[in-house]
Amino acid sequence: MKTLPLGKGHSILYIAAVAVVSSAIGVGLIFIGITAWVTHERAQQQTSQRLGELLGTVESTASIACFVEDQALARELARGLLKNSEALAVVIRSNSGELASARRSGVGEIALARAAEARIRRPIVSPFNSALTVGEILLDPDPEAVERTVIEEVRFIGILLWLLLAALVSVIAFVMLRQIVRPIQGLSLQLHRMDAAAGDRLAIGRVDPGAELGGLVADVNALADQLVASLDDERKLRIQREFDEKKYRAIFDNAETGIFIARRDGVVESRNPALARLFELPAYLSVDSAGISLLTLPWQQPSSLPELLARCVDENLTLAADLEFLHGDGNTRWLNVVLSPIGDERVQGVVSNVTERRQAEDSARHQAVTDPLTGIANRPGLEQQLQAEMQHCTSGSENGFAFLLIDLDGFKRINDALGLPVGDSILKAASSRILSCLKDSDIVARMGGDEFAAILPRIDDEALAASVGERIVRALRRSYDGHGTPIQLGASIGITLFPGDGADLPTLLRNAELALDRAKASGGGRFSFFDPAMAETAERRRTLETDMQLALRRNEFKLFLQPVVDLSGKRVVGAEALIRWQHHEKGLIVPDAFIPLAEETGLIVDIGLWCLEEACLRLAEWQREGRDLYLSLNISARQIPEGLPPAVVLDAVRRHGVDASRLVLEITEGVLLADVGRSQSWLRELRESGFRIYLDDFGTGYSSLSYLKRFPVDTVKIDKSFIRDLNRNENDRALVEAIIAMARSLRLQVVAEGVEDAEQLAQLRQMGCNYIQGYHFSMPVCSADFAAAAESIARSFLPENA
Amino acid sequence: MARRLLPLLLCLGALLLPARECLAELVVIANAKSGVERLGREEVVNIFLGRFRQLPSGMTALPADLPAGSAEKEAFYRLLVNKDLADINAYWARLVFSGRTSPPRQMRGEADLLRFVSETPGAVGYLERAHLDSRVRVVFEFSAER
Repeated sequence: MKTLPLGKGHSILYIAAVAVVSSAIGVGLIFIGITAWVTHERAQQQTSQRLGELLGTVESTASIACFVEDQALARELARGLLKNSEALAVVIRSNSGELASARRSGVGEIALARAAEARIRRPIVSPFNSALTVGEILLDPDPEAVERTVIEEVRFIGILLWLLLAALVSVIAFVMLRQIVRPIQGLSLQLHRMDAAAGDRLAIGRVDPGAELGGLVADVNALADQLVASLDDERKLRIQREFDEKKYRAIFDNAETGIFIARRDGVVESRNPALARLFELPAYLSVDSAGISLLTLPWQQPSSLPELLARCVDENLTLAADLEFLHGDGNTRWLNVVLSPIGDERVQGVVSNVTERRQAEDSARHQAVTDPLTGIANRPGLEQQLQAEMQHCTSGSENGFAFLLIDLDGFKRINDALGLPVGDSILKAASSRILSCLKDSDIVARMGGDEFAAILPRIDDEALAASVGERIVRALRRSYDGHGTPIQLGASIGITLFPGDGADLPTLLRNAELALDRAKASGGGRFSFFDPAMAETAERRRTLETDMQLALRRNEFKLFLQPVVDLSGKRVVGAEALIRWQHHEKGLIVPDAFIPLAEETGLIVDIGLWCLEEACLRLAEWQREGRDLYLSLNISARQIPEGLPPAVVLDAVRRHGVDASRLVLEITEGVLLADVGRSQSWLRELRESGFRIYLDDFGTGYSSLSYLKRFPVDTVKIDKSFIRDLNRNENDRALVEAIIAMARSLRLQVVAEGVEDAEQLAQLRQMGCNYIQGYHFSMPVCSADFAAAAESIARSFLPENA
Repeated sequence: MARRLLPLLLCLGALLLPARECLAELVVIANAKSGVERLGREEVVNIFLGRFRQLPSGMTALPADLPAGSAEKEAFYRLLVNKDLADINAYWARLVFSGRTSPPRQMRGEADLLRFVSETPGAVGYLERAHLDSRVRVVFEFSAER
């Protein structure tokens, strides 16, 4: 709203007066108009009425005059009527014609014509018969008489109205002046002089506190209070802010961290002294000097900071990055820069020196991928490198690479025998020898234990890879220094070529492993390439493994029994339990085809328990039938000692009510080799429980006589390989003779296995071997056929067959 | 309805009153040579109240009244225009003022009237039928109108 300054605009009083006067005049004029019209109508009516009444008074005379048509009387009558000031002209007519007519003298024709318009016509009846009209009186009233009345009336009303108006305006002006204009002027004056901050407030003065202006005064005072309070608060806040500012300024100035505010283009608008130190800004630049651009500083990667700034501003994100800064002394520093957008295309930044942290991180990262012993990459490091190399090849910059897995043959044995320090020095030597065989760009890693790996970038054909493999094999074959004693070790290498032998890391690693296994299986000291057949073999083994697990559940294993014959007693004394696998698809599978895998995978434990259970069932059956037979079970090295604890064996025989002496456990020399102490206690515990122990395949391994002494066994079984050529090979015969003689001297029983013909039998009998097992007497038979086989053997000893 | 009924009742009252008071019947008579056989009531009114100055035959009419205060005169005007004599006198008073018309000449009595009518050719008068004689002719009978 526009307010006019006092004096220039029209005052409230003036406006109110004008409004009142003009509206009063308007209303007055309308009122006068209405009055004039109404008065006119009424005056006319009254005139008519008065004239009518006048006519009434002369009616009887007029009646007589008309009845007798007396003109003199009529004339007299007309003259009499004209005496009335309101009558202008009179005509009296009888039925036969005008009796008399009179008009006021000195009246114009126009006035007469106007008077004729308001003419009063009064019919006159006979004095003796009211139904008979005998004439009429025509009376023209004087219009001027009416107008005079109207004018008088209007003048009167007008005067009254003007008086009223004058009184009204005066009263309103007085009231307004007193109640509104003066108080407002007073308030205005007070407001001009008032100092609200000093506590001045508007005085209520002559204003009625309850009225509008009183309310206004109260409101103005309340507003003044509020404003003063706000100003107070504001001042306190300002003081607080100044205090805070000083405080933060101190923090800002003394911080070790560089703090700045910069524009999107990198120009620094504000910064603290620490920033200058970090950025090595010249000392002469004052703290407040602007115009230094962050982008012109010597960054190692000049494009990083502009990108960071742009992203921070454009995406309104707080961003952090470690940037490398070239220090004046030639070293680089790592600076952590955190940028926060603060609006208006500006960022607030915090810079701190994180060089030490970066170095620590780098070192940690390096350690994470480095083998601490040899200083070359470790397995995670290798995998990273492999991934990188694969990426490299798939992106097309290289065709492929060779990947080698290198294993030191027999390292474990040396380590066990000579101790860790020797082992470590050998590993270190091996890693440096491998490195010496390779180019700088090749990567060598220690995968763990005595296994190494090498990545040969760009070597993508077998011939090149083979030459490198050959070189490494030769280098690792050279003797090592084991604290003075030369140590001989071989190395096996599995080689795979990327991408032919595996396009992803797990496949490549597995295939290299397979190739390595092949090299080892072939005797070690050589390299072997991966070929898909290996993968197939591996696949077959996996299938076999699954099948074996299923076989246990499906009850596909069968225990076959091969009788053992006592030559002196001429009877069957027991049997060896031999496992057979009746595969649901592949038919009968011989033990050699699955037992090694079962041993490898540990499944032999479950199979062994099944065999134990089955053997106990058989023995219990024989016991019920009154047969005096033992049953021997083959125990694998993997089952000793945890796979088949003595308690389990004992529990099995007890459950089935079998005499422990009936169950024989056949072990091989290998079992004794693995873990001497634990194997010994296992053996002893079982023997003390009453079980007998046979040493199987005697003669094929170390056949150390000391073992026979150390391990408590009851019987040795001469391996069938010696028996097979007993007739033809003198050496074999000598060996068998020696074994029998030795056993006898150690009071051990001897069982000859694989006796296939009568000649072998005869020789063994001659050598003094009393227990025979082999096809000569019986093939391994299923338990159902065992009784029959035993009977047939018994029959063969009858005199007619002997 | 009321408006119509009122004059009717007045008329009936007016008719009953003379019938009781004046058992003797009033008749209007004229000179035998007047040339008039019968007169209507209106004609009688016009002649006696000064409106017509001539008889229907063209002869100047000379109406004659019984003396003031006679019962017949009062009965006559009552019957004729239903006015009392005061009214009739007031009426004539106004007309006399102009001088153009004069009221019927005043007889001394019925005999006088009979004589006047029988002697004067244009004379018209009224009397009781009982006092009638052959010298005059009856031109209007109130009873005949009934």
